[in-house]
Order: sequence, then C-alpha cells, then structure tokens
Amino acid sequence: MAADQAESNLQVQPLPLMKRLTQEHTRVFFFSLGKLGRNPVGTLLTALVIGVALALPAGMHVLTQNLSKISYSWQDSLQLSLFLKDSVSSERGAALAREIRDRPGVQATRYVSREQSLAEFRSQSGFGEALDVLQDNPLPAVIAVTPERGRNKLQVEVLLGELTRLPEVDLAKLDQKWLERLYAILGIIDRAVFIVGLLLGIAVVVTVGNTIRLDIEARREEISVMKLIGAPDSFIRRPFLYTGFWYGLAGSVFALVLVLAGTLALSGPSETLASLYDSTFTLSGLSFGSSLLLLLTGIVLGWIGAWITVWRHLAHIQPQ
Amino acid sequence: MTDIIHFNQVGYRYPGGKDVLSDVTFSLGRGEMAFVTGSSGAGKTTLLRLVGLLCKPTRGQVMVDDVNLASLKGGDIAPFRQRIGMVFQNFNLLYDRTVFDNVALPLVIRGFAYSDVQRRVRAALDAVGLLNREKSSPLTLSGGEQQRVGIARAIVSKPALILADEPTGNLDPEMSKEVMKLFERFNQVGVSVLIATHALHLIVHMPHRIIHLDGGKITARRPRTPAMNDLPPFPGEDLRGR
Repeated sequence: MAADQAESNLQVQPLPLMKRLTQEHTRVFFFSLGKLGRNPVGTLLTALVIGVALALPAGMHVLTQNLSKISYSWQDSLQLSLFLKDSVSSERGAALAREIRDRPGVQATRYVSREQSLAEFRSQSGFGEALDVLQDNPLPAVIAVTPERGRNKLQVEVLLGELTRLPEVDLAKLDQKWLERLYAILGIIDRAVFIVGLLLGIAVVVTVGNTIRLDIEARREEISVMKLIGAPDSFIRRPFLYTGFWYGLAGSVFALVLVLAGTLALSGPSETLASLYDSTFTLSGLSFGSSLLLLLTGIVLGWIGAWITVWRHLAHIQPQ
Repeated sequence: MTDIIHFNQVGYRYPGGKDVLSDVTFSLGRGEMAFVTGSSGAGKTTLLRLVGLLCKPTRGQVMVDDVNLASLKGGDIAPFRQRIGMVFQNFNLLYDRTVFDNVALPLVIRGFAYSDVQRRVRAALDAVGLLNREKSSPLTLSGGEQQRVGIARAIVSKPALILADEPTGNLDPEMSKEVMKLFERFNQVGVSVLIATHALHLIVHMPHRIIHLDGGKITARRPRTPAMNDLPPFPGEDLRGR
C-alpha cells in the first residue's frame, strides 16, 4: 500500500547541521541565480545602475592614483637650494656639498660657485648687460640638494631644517609651492572620492534594497505559505540575501568593465599629452587588489541592502 | 489514549472586537480523527489557527503535542509548525514551482538529503495518486488534484497531526469524498487529523467525533461511533437526510 510505503520512507532523519547548511546554501546559491536569470532585462538594468554607481568612485580613484604617480615622478625634480654666506670660500663650499651628499636622505648635491651663478644668470636671464653696471657679484654660491627619491614632504622639511642650521648656510629654500598645491588638490579629490563613494554606496544599498522590497512584495503569498508550513525566517531570508549578493557582484563586474573601458579610452590622449612634456607617463587602470576590493565592496553593499530590506519587511508578513 | 490537542477554557477575541471563541474545552486523542463543524463565523477556522499558532488565545490554555503554546516564542514557532501538516481550502500552493517542488518544501525546510527528499516526495505523491504529475505545474491541475498536492505536502514529513481547514470547500462532491477518504487513510496509519468543515453531508457517514461550534462555543459533540445509525442529531441540522 502506498501509505505503508510512505510510512517506511518517513524514518529518515534530517542531515547533520553542517551538511544541511552546505546543501541549503548550495541550493539557494543557484536557485537565486536562476530566479534572476528568468528576468534578465530587469536584472541587467539593476546591475547596470549599481555598476554606474560603483564605477564613479572607482574611476575617481583611478584618476587620483594616476595624479599621485605624476606628482611622485615630479618629486625627482624637487631641489633644496642652500644659499651660502659670502664668507664661505669656493673650496669650503665644494667640500660642504660633498658632506651634505653623504647625509642620509640626500640623493645628490651640486655646488654652484658665485662665479658660476653669475655666468648662469648672465646666459639665462637676458639681463647680462645690466650686470655689467654692478661693481661686485651680488649672487651667492649655492648648493643644490636633491632629496632621496620617495621622501615625503615631512621628511624633506626635516632635512631642510637641518641644513638651514649649518653655519655656512645663509638661507635655505625649498621651492615646493606648486607641489604643495598639487598635494592639496589631490587631498581634495581624495576626500571627494570618499564622499562620492559613501553617497553612491548608500545609493547601491538603496537600489538593491528597493529591488528586493519589490521582490518581497511580489512573493508575499509565497512567503506566507512558507511560514505556514514551518519555514524559519533564516530559510525565507536566505534567497533574498543571495539575490543581493548576485546584484552586488554583477554591479561590481559592470563597474570594473566601465572603469577599464574609461581607462582604455583615455590612455591614448593622456600619453599624447605626456609626450608633449617629454614624459613617458602611461595611464594605469585599477590594480588587481583594487579590482578585488571593488568586487568585494559591491557584494557587501548588495548583501547589506538585501539584509536591511528583508529584516524590515519579513516580520510584517504573517500567514493568514 | 493520550491527547495530542487539549483546549482548556480557551477564548479568543479579535483586538477591539467581539469574542470569536468562548470557553472552548476539548481534546483530540493521538491517532484520532475528528471534525469541527459549524456555520460560517462559528469559530472553526479560529480554532484551527490557534492550534497552528497562527494566533494566540486571549484566554485559557492550548496544549499541542505536550507543548503549551503560550510558552513558545518567536524562534520556536517555525519548528513547532514543522510538526504539523496543514491543509487549506485555497490549497496555498506555490504556482511557480512544480508539484514535486511544492511537496518537497517541508523536507527542504527541515534539511533532508536530496535523495531522501526524492524518495519521500514520490511516496507522498503516490499516496495521493499524483505520482505521474510530479513535474507538472499546479496551474495545470484540477481543484481536486491541487488539494491532493496540498495533502501530499502536509503528510510528506510525517506529522503527528494534520489540520485541515475546509479542505473540500472548493471541490465538487465526488472529489470531496475522495479527499475525505485520503484523510481517513492517513488516520488509519496513526496520524491525528482535525478537520474544520461545514459540509456535514460528507462527514455524517464517517465514524469520527464531531465538535459543533455555534457563536464561538461548543454546542454539541458526537462521540466516535462505528455506525451512522447511532448518530445523535445535531442542533438545526438534519444530518441523516443529506
């Protein structure tokens, strides 16, 4: 008899917890993907919105990374100028330049005597004839100090302070205003990336949340039936959380593609511009680590959006 | 016979509304099948909802399978419902899934291995005569077949108790008889069954206890009896003439 057969089959026990969770998560992983696949247009549009929202801060991040790279290469031309007292002899000046070169944090020095300074000024300034009027050479001897590559602004300022205190030095000067301005601009852009990223992150959470909310509304009856037959909230919640995961993943993949496309589109013009400045600068895209972070961010934001929505709406659905 | 359901002076009142049930006291023994009858609004559905923890009594105590339902909190409710099979008038099936998937749902929720799920679902579908429709969508089935899917889903995890709320409400007379016979078959293998129905003509020939509700109160009881000739008449109902 069929009922007896049913009886004998009903002696089986549920799986142990870990096996059960593995089976259930695997099932929901593909079930939620299949559910999204059955509505490809809606899914793609949602993923695209998320992708654009993630691509904006990611693109700005790429921009600041490249600007930092440019400023880093410009640091090579950063020099400290030590103007020596008139009483310092040429021999002492040259010796001092060698002593300074041996200091930690110094890459190179170049001693320019008073005579050389005058000659350079005469040839480069265009005021050579005016200098003939002067009886004495007004220009001091200079030691041009190039800090070691990779030194940050603070370290360079410390070096400047040390060199200023040398008895032979009359005046020490670091011409870095332009670099400070660039750093300031980069700081603003960095902050802007953070704020824009934060706002668009919220937008991603809201977008996923709203999509999941509509999904919950559409499946209200199904949820009610599941609760009737004893499905715990965790069981009902799971497919929605995985849906958020898939939206986040698809959105971040879209964002990666958009950033890559943007980088490729701008690399030609930026290299042309760089070549006009005798630079070999090439535009870099997202690094492997940053790409991974972008994927992770998309997934986490999608999951958070789904979780908040499910948490808010599931409790309101009670079986009738 | 120990009781699987015990109501002690149970009352239920809708918030700000009138009493739907008043001082209801009754028991359903383990392995027993009984009917709750009464006209619309008599409190049949509310009584079943109290057993299935879809609402909580405003007075009195409800014990189901030795559990005082008042002691169950949020997270305990779902595991409790897994121990009961529920059948509904409107079937409550998921129409975007196959018959197989609908019946499998209680087992999937409880975390059975897929091979066990397959075996048990097929056994349940066989028991209700729908094994050949396992891949069909419920939308392609008749009302009677959909109700049998609902019954298969209710029995697939071998509950100790089946609750059925007007299970024949949307079915024609022939199919209604078939469905009632199914419940009797499951009762014969030891499952307790409590059915709310107003279709007295269907149950009058069945040798099971009847609890009659009127205005939220039990107004008559017919004991478990083997023969229709022993039936006492119900208030206002000519049971024998139907």
